[in-house]
Order: sequence, then structure tokens, then C-alpha cells
Amino acid sequence: MGDSLIKGRGMAPGKTTSTAMVCNQYISPLGEMSKSGVISSGLCEGRSFSDKILIFKGGRGSTVGSYVILELKNKNLAPSGIINETAEQVVLTGAIISEIPMIDQIPIDIFVDGDTIEMDGKKGTVEIKNAVLKDIATVFLIFKGKLLVLKRSSKVSSYPDMYGGVSGYVEEGERPEETGARELREECDVSDARLLRKGELVYVRHENTLFRITPLLMEPKDDSIKLNWENSQYFWVSFDELSRFETVPKFKEAFKELTRP
Amino acid sequence: MFLTPDEEKIFDGESGEAKKIAIRLLYSLGELGNAEKLIPIKSAHVSGVSYKNIGDGGLKFLKKISTPVSVPTTLNPLGFDLTGDGPVNIDEHFREKQLEIIRAYMDMGVMESFTCTPYYFYNEPSFGDHLSWAESSAITYVNSIIGARTNRESGPSALAAAIIGKTPDHGMHMENNRKAKLIIKTNRKLEYSELGALGLYIGYNGKGQIPLIKGQKGAKDFEIKALAAAMGAASSSPMFHVEGVTPEAHLVADDASVLDVEEDQIKETMNKYAGDETPELISIGCPHLSVEELNYIASLVHGKKKIGPDLFLFTNRKVKERAAGAVKVIEDFGGKVFVDTCMVVSPLSNRYQKSATNSGKASFYLPLKEYGNQKIAFKGILEMLKWVIA
Repeated sequence: MGDSLIKGRGMAPGKTTSTAMVCNQYISPLGEMSKSGVISSGLCEGRSFSDKILIFKGGRGSTVGSYVILELKNKNLAPSGIINETAEQVVLTGAIISEIPMIDQIPIDIFVDGDTIEMDGKKGTVEIKNAVLKDIATVFLIFKGKLLVLKRSSKVSSYPDMYGGVSGYVEEGERPEETGARELREECDVSDARLLRKGELVYVRHENTLFRITPLLMEPKDDSIKLNWENSQYFWVSFDELSRFETVPKFKEAFKELTRP
Repeated sequence: MFLTPDEEKIFDGESGEAKKIAIRLLYSLGELGNAEKLIPIKSAHVSGVSYKNIGDGGLKFLKKISTPVSVPTTLNPLGFDLTGDGPVNIDEHFREKQLEIIRAYMDMGVMESFTCTPYYFYNEPSFGDHLSWAESSAITYVNSIIGARTNRESGPSALAAAIIGKTPDHGMHMENNRKAKLIIKTNRKLEYSELGALGLYIGYNGKGQIPLIKGQKGAKDFEIKALAAAMGAASSSPMFHVEGVTPEAHLVADDASVLDVEEDQIKETMNKYAGDETPELISIGCPHLSVEELNYIASLVHGKKKIGPDLFLFTNRKVKERAAGAVKVIEDFGGKVFVDTCMVVSPLSNRYQKSATNSGKASFYLPLKEYGNQKIAFKGILEMLKWVIA
């Protein structure tokens, strides 16, 4: 377990701790954030955001939107913090002039409605107080253009019977690369693979656990695999065949990102 | 972001509190866009005028940031027509607050344009000019149709840029960021309100990317304006290209993806807002009408007898002056032509609950609860006029 802070980009300074309200949508502050502090269209229609940490994809619509946020603040009906996937100028200006902490470049699917969130808009850090952060290393093993896909055993604690890579918890004092090599030995009896690429961190939320995954692209000397109890089957699959497997969350996306030229 | 020594001084407050707030806002937005420096701008256009939109919080901010602007700066519409009455009655409190907001802008030397189409006669940019404009429809218009360069500025950030005379150099100011990343294929020529529907459709489905629209050769500027306004409302993309029409349509990214827009999708988008109930009001002019559009509408109602719902048209003062003949025809018919305001920023629901419009942008804002509060019918001009021509 590492420290439980997630790092995004600090956009408007200030610290706050409050309850998360997650809206998987773009929002035009003008028109879609009502004068009484309620979202008036889309998935979050009818819900009040006052004093909450409002988490949405990003802003859109009228350039007057910044003033809408300021006026909400003026009436004590504004959100206490804002988190966006990608910030744009209208919402950010609103946050700055209203002195509301704001952070972007954080995937919003790691938050759940009702989470208690502590954020620092200057440092760009977010902590989900009710979730435990666990560091994982996942090896994407490729050999002659094919990817190793493991069927997880029905006895494992998370995502049983789904398909994934070679994964394990990063232990105290271990680097993710070391975890990857160790898991490869334990789960597949492969000890001679070399690291081709280390990907950007991927976050996956599962109930009250937040997995922080380091994807590792590795290549063995041959295709021999010997499974232990953690997995029940393995397949070497082409990129096209991968789409047919029901994989663990963000597996395909992470692989795509890892193999981007 | 790198600031020159002179800019540093402003940042540190040596030129006063207002300029300090302005440059600090520009600095933060420059950081957002990974800009390296501020660049001079030719003009600014500022939104955030109607008291309905900015409230007391906005008024306080305007007073805090009050200092003269340093480039020609135009202003968006407000909540009523300053030259006469209407479009709806407002209470004395609203009127007083609105006038106070106007005074705050006038004190800063901002022009009395009160329009979302300042590019008609007030503030006419040229190809390649760097600007700092707010008002989503105008931003999209000047980037796309004129080829001038502005990011999607908010009301306060455009005002900050007007004060400093500069804007952070990033985003739409750089040619590389003006390339289409999405190619939209259409299979027949669309008319004004259908282009508005296309704008909404792209806004909802275009992932905020700059689109190149194919299949609309010969579209007129005022028709493209409808597309600009609707897309500006429903997305955060500040620009589009139209093949054979807009000046930078050759800018296409190598990895642009393709989206076919079929007849059904345009119809569906229009039907989403298409109430068939007779409205109490037909409003046209979002964005504000051009001389050409007023002449066209005048030709449709010339010598006819008016029945049914009210007919309100919205434009700016200079357009109204230059289209005086058309305005007389429309007023003789029984319609009204307002300036300084529009159906979106005036408190329309003080009097009307059901309105019809040909504007994709207005169709986005008018139905929203606690904002427009309207039952809306989104239709073409010819269809709407059937309600009012005997």
C-alpha cells in the first residue's frame, strides 16, 4: 500500500474536504447549473451540488458560465470543489474568481457518489478518504505479436473468472518492475522476460479499494507458460482476438496505450 | 508561462488591484493551455451582461476589476431593449441592477454594442488576427468563418485580456491546433435551422473536436452562423471547417476520424425539441440577425395579415438602422424588432411559457428549468411563419 493521494493537475488553489457528487457528463454552467444550486439536465438532473465536490467531465456552452459559478458562490450555493477530466476556460475562470479549488486530469470513474474527498487545488492532489489505495503491477507479456491472457481462478479475491494479465500487489519496498518480474515467476514460471515499456498509471475503483496499476510491457525468450493456482487457463491472442475476452477493467485500454507507437 | 519584466510588475500589483486580478487570471489560463507567453490582441468581445446571468456576484466582480480597457472591446446583449420597451416587462429591481452593470462596463470604455454578432459593423476582425473573444457563437463564427484566432474565452477572461491588451498564446492561436480531427459527412444541403440541428448533433457527439463538415458547399455565412451558435452551446469546441466555404478548410489532421450524419439524425435532433402546440411567441434572432436575414424575413411577410402568436425579432442597433426598410415591413405586418437583447438573455418567462424558434442555440437554453422555462418548438422559419400569416 502506498500513500493514498492521487495526483492530477492543480488548476485553482484552495483546500477542501466534502462529499463527492459524480456526474458523468459535460456541463454548461449557464442553464445546466440552476440558480438554486441544482443540475438541470443530463444524468444528474435534479441533484443539488451545493457544498459538494462536483466531479464532471468538463465544461461546455456559454462563456457567461464563469459568472454563474461566481453568483452561486455569492449566494453560498456553489460546490466546495471541482474536479474535471479535462478543464476548459469557462469553468476554470469561474473557479478562480470564485475561489473554489479545482483540479483536472483525473479519471472521474474512480469516484463514487458519496465518497468523502479531500482535495488541494494548488498541489493538484485528491484523496478518497473512504477508499484504500493498493498498488498493482500488471505485466502484458507479448511474444511474436501475441499477448498472454490469463483466466483468473475462481478462488482469487477480485475479478474471479475474468481475463487479465499477470498481476500482483506491489509489496513494501518493492518497485513495480520488481513486482512484475516476481509475479511472472510465481504465476507463469517465466524468469527471463525483459521489460520493453512501462506505461502511465491506470486507476481502477472496486468498491472501497482504489487500484493504482503500473502496466508493464514485457517479452519472454519463448512461449512456455506454467500456471500456478491463481489462474486456470492461458491463451496467446492476437490484437483482434483480444476483443472477444471479458477482461478486467481497463485492461484493453491499458494495452492499447502501452503498444501505441 | 514567462512574463516580461513589465508584466511581472502588473502581476505584483504595481499597476493597481484591477490589473493585478486581470493578469493573474490570464496567467492561470495560460498555465491551463501550456502557453509560454502573452501575445497582443487586436480586439476583445465580452459576455456577462444580463443581470439574469451574472447576478450580484458578477456586478461585484466588475467593480473590483474596473479599469480602462486597452483595445477595442464590444459587449454582449443585456436583459431588455435600452432603446424602447420589451421584449417583456421587467421589475424595477432588475432594471436598476441591469443599468448598474451597463454603467460598470461603460466606465471601463467598453463599446455600447450590446450584441452577440459584433462582427456586423462594430468589431470586424480580419483573417489571422489574434483576439480574445467571449460569447460561444461569436467565437465559433470568427474562428471558423473569418479565420481570426481566439480561444473560447469566458466573460471574465476576455475582459481581463481587454484590460491587459494581451492573451495567453496557446490553443486556437496556433495553426497546428486549428486542424479538423473529425470529418462530418452530410448527404444533402441543409437549410438554416437544420444546420442548427447539425450543430447540436455535432456538439453532443463530436467529443469536443474540431470538425470538417463536408457536403455543405454554397452555404451562406448567415446559415453557417446557425451552425456556429448551436455547436457553441452544446460543446466546448471553438471552431469548425466547412468544405468549400470556410477559409481554413484545408487544415485537417492526418488521423481525423469520420462521422456520417444521416437525414434521420438531423430529424431526430429537431424532433427532440419539436412541440407542435401553437406557441405564444415566435422568436427569431439567436444569434442576432444580419441585414440580409431581416430583408429575407421582410420579403416573407410583406403585405400579409398577421394572426396568432407574437413575432419577435432580435438584432443589433447598427443592423436595425441599415435594414430600416425591412424593419418597417416587419413592423407593419405586426412583428417587433428588438435591439440590445434576445430571447435567451431576457427574462422571457415573465410573460411567455410556450415559444417557437428556428435557433439550435436557443433550443438548447430555452427549455432548461430555472433558466428559460419554456416549452419549445424548434422549426424552420417558413414553418413557424405559418402560425402568424393569415
